Amino acid sequence: MKMEGDAKRVRVYIGESDQWQGKPLFTAIVERCRREGFAGATVLRGIEGFGAHSRIHTARILRLSEDLPVVVEIVDRPDRIEQLLPMLDEMVQEGLVTIEDVHVLKYVAGASPPAS
Amino acid sequence: MGGDPQGSVVWDALHKVGWVGLGGFLGANARYWLGGWVQHRWGTTFPWGTFVINITGSFLLGLFMALVTERYALPQTPTLRLVVAIGFVGAYTTFSTFEFETLSLVTTGSLLRAFGNAFGSLLAGFAAVWLGVVLGRVL
Repeated sequence: MKMEGDAKRVRVYIGESDQWQGKPLFTAIVERCRREGFAGATVLRGIEGFGAHSRIHTARILRLSEDLPVVVEIVDRPDRIEQLLPMLDEMVQEGLVTIEDVHVLKYVAGASPPAS
Repeated sequence: MGGDPQGSVVWDALHKVGWVGLGGFLGANARYWLGGWVQHRWGTTFPWGTFVINITGSFLLGLFMALVTERYALPQTPTLRLVVAIGFVGAYTTFSTFEFETLSLVTTGSLLRAFGNAFGSLLAGFAAVWLGVVLGRVL
């Protein structure tokens, strides 16, 4: 797949213990994006933060380290991102979703994996 | 029952598992909820939750042990010991969380607080257990 030039990045800020149909929400989002053929998705771990409930989560204090923040990033062409947003609308019942313009300088896959 | 010494050993052990477990269930939950409340109240720059838990737990242990070993000798004392001292206080206080949070203070650059937590917990805990014993003796 070729993706160079103007694209959009979606960032989904959720908690690591948020669930969707029996599995972690961040896993569910990544799997769904993969199934729908998006260019890619990355899950990053936050070590501290707070959200709509103003409750601090931090890895520094054991009792507050439940449900640490997690960010799922998806970068793709704007028309593909348009298709992503309703999906996220359904799956993200609590959290923050942002969208921004990015410019893809490079999106390469290297050597193809051996045929299975 | 008299003709089955092996059976009564097993039964006795199961009894203990139950009593220790009961105390542990209550103690761990007390730590989780009370510690959580304290932590939310007093912010995240210092592990106050664990600190308060360990100090109060030390006090409780000193008090309880003085009462049952120096003041009262009830038939229920051995069982009470399992529930309260070994089960409840044992699960209520936490050494591992204390060490983990001291490490967190070190790795995030709060060396002074790390020392404060380590020495403070040790000294205040000692004072607390001593106070508990003293109180147990005069009650």
